[in-house]
Amino acid sequence: MPDLLLTLLRLIFLGLVYLFVWQIARSISTHLGLGGNRRARRGGTRVAVVRSENQSGASFTVTDSMVIGRSDEADFFLDDPYASDFHLRLSARDGRLIVNDLGSTNGTYVNGRRVTTPVDLNRGDAVQVGKTVMEVR
Amino acid sequence: MTRDLQPALLIGAAALAAFGVSLVNFAAQGTVDAQVGLTFGTVLFAFGGVFVAARRFAPEAVPHLLPPIAVIAGFGFIEIFRLNPYRAGLQRWWLLIGAALATVVLAWISRNGLASLRRYRNTQLLLAVGLLLLPLLPSDGPLPIRGLEVNGSRLWIEVDLYIAQLNFQPGEVAKLLFVVFLASYLADRQPALTGAHRRIGRLTLPEPRQLGPLLLVWLGSLGILISQRDLGASLLLFLVFVAMLYVATGEGGYLVGGGLLIAIGGVASWQMFDHVQRRVSAWLDPFGAFEDAGYQVAQGIFGMGTGSLSGSGPGLGRPELIPNAITDFVFAAIGEEFGFAGTVAVLGCYALAIATGFGIALRSRDRFNKLLAFGLTFVFALQTFLIIGGVLRVVPLTGIALPFMSYGGSALVGNFMLVALLLAVSHEEASR
Repeated sequence: MPDLLLTLLRLIFLGLVYLFVWQIARSISTHLGLGGNRRARRGGTRVAVVRSENQSGASFTVTDSMVIGRSDEADFFLDDPYASDFHLRLSARDGRLIVNDLGSTNGTYVNGRRVTTPVDLNRGDAVQVGKTVMEVR
Repeated sequence: MTRDLQPALLIGAAALAAFGVSLVNFAAQGTVDAQVGLTFGTVLFAFGGVFVAARRFAPEAVPHLLPPIAVIAGFGFIEIFRLNPYRAGLQRWWLLIGAALATVVLAWISRNGLASLRRYRNTQLLLAVGLLLLPLLPSDGPLPIRGLEVNGSRLWIEVDLYIAQLNFQPGEVAKLLFVVFLASYLADRQPALTGAHRRIGRLTLPEPRQLGPLLLVWLGSLGILISQRDLGASLLLFLVFVAMLYVATGEGGYLVGGGLLIAIGGVASWQMFDHVQRRVSAWLDPFGAFEDAGYQVAQGIFGMGTGSLSGSGPGLGRPELIPNAITDFVFAAIGEEFGFAGTVAVLGCYALAIATGFGIALRSRDRFNKLLAFGLTFVFALQTFLIIGGVLRVVPLTGIALPFMSYGGSALVGNFMLVALLLAVSHEEASR
């Protein structure tokens, strides 16, 4: 029955095409960040030091909550004479990243604007402390 | 993980194309011949080649753009092979040439950087206009380049290379140049274009002076419509411009202005041109205009209707009854032989490729890169919409190639370069 065989092959072909489209769609959905929140909660958000006198290229990952400052006891030590001992807190909650200035002397700037209240950070935002600029990755 | 999936997906796409060709073979002669292996090799070599080039020259590029496009190209190739094996042989070469040019584009950008595209802005615009005007050259002139009139539109040039003749649609490359020009122009002009506007009641309109370029491009696209009788390129040019202007400024006034200009231009050209009227009546009532322009649309509908849910099977339908079934109407031919299921799969692949392109634009931080990625994806999406919409009677039919699917060398080459540019943008944005 060649007719039956051809019908069968045609349906197999269409099935394979759909399997394929499904595979591509799955990998694209992660690219578009549709699964992004889950990943952010599991893996944390990476913050990189993009401009600094001595720390360029350093980076750290915020999974829960981190205090950043010039003190040795801060979770991330900031080698910058203009930074306060405990300068700011970064907290990750439900895939969001929030920056909170801890009453620093010289202030915290997000994209060039000084912040005094907790602010949500997005991917690509620049956080400046003294002469150091960090970027949310 | 997804990055390593890409080669597997590309091999899979090539295998699907080969499987489809074997079904065509089987339906025609009961056996399978060398075409199956050739198809597998061609699709794998073309897209695998771009993949390897991207690994080398743009390693951070998104891995999701090539696989859906490889599936689309494979699907189109099956249908071209089924309808016209001779043309399929040519298409094979065009796939390889397109992939080679994509490699060249990737290598050039990796050496010079995307920003170098901004340096020659005015040259690009002049080149784009020049390319668009090339088909207007006399068809019996003494020059080695002659314009050709095909199906009532003047889009083709014939280049005499003394040893061989090459037919080419320069508009396909002009589109890309135009998008690159617009991206750099708007990236520089953005502050001037926003902010200055006038309020009329609740409507905010841009300052009249700022509308100058809008009007200029509108006149230019009408000029194309008049001189080349090409509805598709004219609409494409203007819509891309309006969309990029809107994305660059975020001002809805440009959309309102653009919409009004399209309405005015549409009504005026409908009254002035016979061929626009025929297209519109073929769109509204293809069976009423069956003897005239409606014939093609109606045959397409018959074909897709016959195809029903899962199609007649490759090689078993009669898509050859549809005029231009391997170029403008390849979607209807797919609908006949692979059915509704096949067309939805094709649409899905287009949607995935377009979503990836817009994703690249969304993630870009550099204004020029963002506008470039958006413009390129928009051109790709709009062409897909206009021609599939034309076949499905959503919009009047415009003679535009379905990207990566229709038979045609110029379109394939242009679209391969478009994809290479998108890959380059995503690489540069991911690695900065």
